[in-house]
Amino acid sequence: MSTVDPLLEFPLDTQPDPDEFLRAALRWHFSPETGSPFWIERAGTLGFDPLTDIGGFADLGRFPNLANELRDVRAEDLIPRGYGDRPDVVGVYESGGTTGAPKRIVLLKEWLDRLLAWSSGQLDRHGVPQGVNWLVVAPTGPHMVGDVIKRQTAFRGGLAFTVDLDPRWVKKLIADGKTAEAGAYAEHIVDQVAFLLQTQDIGVLMCTPPVLERLARREDLAKLIDEKVKAINWVGTQMDADTRYLYRTEVFPKAHLYSGYGSTMILGNASERPGLTDDDPCIYDPFAPHMVFDVVDPGTRETVAYGERGQVVMHHVSKSLFMPNNLERDYATRVPGPEGVWQIGDSVADIAPVQEFDNETVIEGVY
Amino acid sequence: MTVTDVAGAPVAELSLVPKLFVTRAMDALRKARTLPAAERTAALARAGRIFAEETVDGLTFEEYQRTVARVSGVPMGVVRAATAAIIEATEVAPVAAYQARPVGAVDDWRAEETRRGSAVWTRKGDVFAVHAAGNHPGPHSLWVEALAMGYRVAVRPSRREPFTPHRLISALRAAGFGADQVVLLPTDYDAADEILRSADYGLVYGGDEVVRKYAGTRVLPQGPGRSKMLVPAGTDWRDHLDTIVDSIAHQGGVACINATTVLVEGDPAPLAQAIAERLAAIPSLPPEDEKAVLAVQPAEGARKLEAFLLARAAGTTAHLGGDGIVEELGDGSAVLRPAVHQLDRPDAEQAGIELPFPCVWVAPWSPADGIGPLRNSLVLTAFTDDEALIDELLAEPTISNLYLGDHPTYWIRPGVPHDSYLGEFLMRTKTVIRD
Repeated sequence: MSTVDPLLEFPLDTQPDPDEFLRAALRWHFSPETGSPFWIERAGTLGFDPLTDIGGFADLGRFPNLANELRDVRAEDLIPRGYGDRPDVVGVYESGGTTGAPKRIVLLKEWLDRLLAWSSGQLDRHGVPQGVNWLVVAPTGPHMVGDVIKRQTAFRGGLAFTVDLDPRWVKKLIADGKTAEAGAYAEHIVDQVAFLLQTQDIGVLMCTPPVLERLARREDLAKLIDEKVKAINWVGTQMDADTRYLYRTEVFPKAHLYSGYGSTMILGNASERPGLTDDDPCIYDPFAPHMVFDVVDPGTRETVAYGERGQVVMHHVSKSLFMPNNLERDYATRVPGPEGVWQIGDSVADIAPVQEFDNETVIEGVY
Repeated sequence: MTVTDVAGAPVAELSLVPKLFVTRAMDALRKARTLPAAERTAALARAGRIFAEETVDGLTFEEYQRTVARVSGVPMGVVRAATAAIIEATEVAPVAAYQARPVGAVDDWRAEETRRGSAVWTRKGDVFAVHAAGNHPGPHSLWVEALAMGYRVAVRPSRREPFTPHRLISALRAAGFGADQVVLLPTDYDAADEILRSADYGLVYGGDEVVRKYAGTRVLPQGPGRSKMLVPAGTDWRDHLDTIVDSIAHQGGVACINATTVLVEGDPAPLAQAIAERLAAIPSLPPEDEKAVLAVQPAEGARKLEAFLLARAAGTTAHLGGDGIVEELGDGSAVLRPAVHQLDRPDAEQAGIELPFPCVWVAPWSPADGIGPLRNSLVLTAFTDDEALIDELLAEPTISNLYLGDHPTYWIRPGVPHDSYLGEFLMRTKTVIRD
């Protein structure tokens, strides 16, 4: 019977030494007793010993980007054996499939609890009230965001109303040039949102920029949202600064508008840095040291200077998952972490998708 | 984004509005009230005077004209003529627009005729959207007719030359049109579609692809002109050489009403040679020069046009421009010099290639060829009095305008249609009878 290194379960109000934390995580994920079959099988092919050759986050670049293997690996093989025969699994979730076949990941209850505690603190800093209902216009299974936000709402003492959104179907329609059908689908989403806005107490609205734009287009709904909703959380795709300004000043002047950015591959989502002005870019600070961001030159893979743009690399390190060096589809500006807050790695700003990724054209859409 | 002149020097910054702004602006247009006809007429005329006489957003009329010449490469003299046409259009638009009214209809339900029952000419919609072209300021004289008819209008300027619609709309606003009655919406492509989607009717400029995409929809496409001239036997082209050469080169050859093809009964070589000699004498000057005749483009773009022409002209006989048509001015810009090519048959595929400079195809024609080679013409000038032929040409649906005798293809006046009246597209009749 293995014992769990307390470093892996550090209390959120403390700051662990990041390199010691990483080494503890590697011991967990690469030990035959506690690690996942996925990593134990690959340990011999790495060309180095993760337990002795990795001193800290600076060495994480030695790991290959294995995210593509998540497209066909058995989901069971991703669960660390240390969780025993009855791991508390919240669900198996998939990436959006924007860049080819979907990647699959397992969400364990233990990690979700940590994530919710941290992200709830972020919401508090945004002034998002507790005890209010959320209207979540987002994908549910096989995607993670819908389920996580449902649980987050419960964690904060509200009811979650959900309107499901199938981003893959929208992308398929757009890829086939069926823009009218994509538009009809989006209107169908808006119709469903309308019923909820008209009949329920909605305190927070979460949706994608294209959906928000269609809601804003219907004057009655825009008015309802501004009257009822305290906060609007947009996620999924980028929004330009001028549009954000229009929402804040003209369309939804009473509601607090903020964004989120995350990835299935890091099992979570960061809210926009609180207190940003309209002239600031949207900056996202990750949940370090569990989520660590890097911004690299796509050609050389070298970290770019602060203020420069590059492609986002994400690492996830927790007891439930180790997934280093995942090159994301997004471009971002590299920004230092927030002042006075402990963070390892960088923050990212002004996210925009890479147009071409792994030779598949990225398709943005209503999603 | 930066608007540059033909030499690549930055001239202005153009801010693009996001889609949400477009949506809201179009909503505002939809909700706005149309000014009463008398107020529209007065405001349009006032706008013309402001456009011509006042400093608008820091630019005098002369500075504005010079800027247009520098960024679009259209010669200064052409800019002057086109802006004069815009000013005239604001004056006469209320009359010109109503030239399209069917004879059986009246303007207003209050007219005496409706007591006995009469058609009234009414708008089919409220909001009209224009995707403007940047090759020439002239087309901006067309959409003011929509304002005259009572439409609220949104104009998406071309990124190359946003100055004309900006000045015109600023003037219209200053003259009394509300911010919710006429708007300028510079956008990227995605939001540009949104402008058309949220309007009742639209107008777009583009190539064959655009014409195919929008044919038969609520969007009126304005495509290539492929204007032509026909010189049948019995007409001595020497009597009309000025008109022929002018039709090709007037306005730097940038317009859809410039002649693309000249068909001549008999040997085309002497006419082609004569055209070439005249066109060869035109000097190469920067666009803002008062004596400039030819259009100017950034050198890189000019080279692309040249390569396209040389590739497509293979197999034809070049009388001018066979070695190329680009003459660089040394500042990064280049004059597009004329090209004259002789074809060996009227239905040669080159006959339909319309390029934005004086580029003409001279081809043989005989009555045995029929009117096939004359089809698909925005303007056809035919030096003929053969009534049977004229009947046939007038009946041909793909010939939009027919000029008989010594009239250049670029002849156009307010009140005559450019490609049918805009009112035929935007208005309808409705029967009204009252007590």
